[in-house]
Amino acid sequence: MARSLILISSLPEDAQFAAQAAAVAGLALQSVKSPRDAVEIVAAQEGCVLLVDASTQAQYLDFERAVQEKLGLFSSRLNANHIHYISSGDIYEVPYLIQSPLFGNFVHRNFHSEPEVGTHYGRVIAATLGDRSFGTDKLVKPGTKIQTIQLKMSTQKQEAVEAVRNYLVALKFQSRMATVIANAVDEILMNAIFDAPVDSMGRHLFESTSRATNSNLDGQRAVELHVAYDGAYVTVTAADLFGSLDKNKLLSAISKIYTDQEYRVRSAVAGAGIGLASVFHSGGSFFFSSESRSKTEVTVFFKRCDNYREFKSQFRFLSMQFYF
Amino acid sequence: MVNIIKEQKGNVIAVRLVGSIEESVEFEQLIGPVSGELHVNCKEVPRINSVGVKAWIKYFAGLQQKGAKLRFQECSTAIVEQINLISNFTCGGAVDSIYVPFSCTGCKGEFIGLFKTEDLKKLNMNIPELKCGKCGGKAVFDDIPEEYFGFLSR
Repeated sequence: MARSLILISSLPEDAQFAAQAAAVAGLALQSVKSPRDAVEIVAAQEGCVLLVDASTQAQYLDFERAVQEKLGLFSSRLNANHIHYISSGDIYEVPYLIQSPLFGNFVHRNFHSEPEVGTHYGRVIAATLGDRSFGTDKLVKPGTKIQTIQLKMSTQKQEAVEAVRNYLVALKFQSRMATVIANAVDEILMNAIFDAPVDSMGRHLFESTSRATNSNLDGQRAVELHVAYDGAYVTVTAADLFGSLDKNKLLSAISKIYTDQEYRVRSAVAGAGIGLASVFHSGGSFFFSSESRSKTEVTVFFKRCDNYREFKSQFRFLSMQFYF
Repeated sequence: MVNIIKEQKGNVIAVRLVGSIEESVEFEQLIGPVSGELHVNCKEVPRINSVGVKAWIKYFAGLQQKGAKLRFQECSTAIVEQINLISNFTCGGAVDSIYVPFSCTGCKGEFIGLFKTEDLKKLNMNIPELKCGKCGGKAVFDDIPEEYFGFLSR
């Protein structure tokens, strides 16, 4: 019996999105009217995936309450990795999701009636169904060529960033789009090189080390970059061997915006803490996959568009897969 | 890596930033202390990463606290994005002019046009169409007006 994708939403655009995603992920779609109905199915079936309309806090709390009453928030029947929240508001407008113990994945409902977004997200859901979700190949169209760059020194980051930018320009991406994607690559590489390394106690080794410092990236400090373009989406993954990603810190950083509040420079740390938020704001989607003390892969996706306006307002999501 | 071309014009120090601003930038060494007025030309800054933003704010906020008057000119699209994303990116300085992105509806070519911010305020986000230099087609503003010009209404 196929596993189920349970949709809790009354919106027709969500139903269309879910149908496409379920088809690609090989899941049987079940639409339900209430979170209670969904939780009943979860209690009875193994390995359900949930797609929940959580555009308002009330909708989210209804869902959380139903889970709490029937299963308990930390039940083994329901894995946060398999819960996908859809919202019309952007990530910084849904603090109740950011703080949720059941946070796994966020989908911004800017579908623009594009037929391929459900298909694209279906591949993301499919990647989450297995034992582990590592591997850029799971996130791109089957048959897409993936190029790998192994960084030997930390100062090779800028060369890798420029190489990706030049590759995208050669693929006829607008130069401004190529620059934005290059910046995203810069940020995920910088995190893999300087933020990921921790000691056996989980303390960050290079928290206050200048990001301009040159160091060897060998042994556990090895960092790889995977780049793929399937004709619609460019997909770039930075991989490290520490598995030190902290879900709460990550969510806090990505959902923070400084359009109204001041950015305060923290001199005690070398990083800026604003890189991933700016990538998400500029149109990028994220897929984080992290196995504690083993490895982390951070993948960013951008769709190639005819103009920058479409590029910036493209369909976006944030997916987090944590394994302990 | 960014380079700086520096000129003294009377009481004003004018600097032109050339290149991407990232972790290797040392504004203190490149520009140094400024006590009067500093004009920063950002036309040739194609990219700035998060650590570059941090270095920028640390340096220019320090100058502003010491009484320097800052004016940012010919801001590239990368700089305009940061001005909009981070409320204190200009560190109390004035933005005199910015580059506005256009794309051609015919050949899909992209180009930029320089606008004074005082003129943009008068246009109220209604950016005129331009003629594409490559194919002669219609070129339109290519970004989200409320976001790209958001800083004008702060």
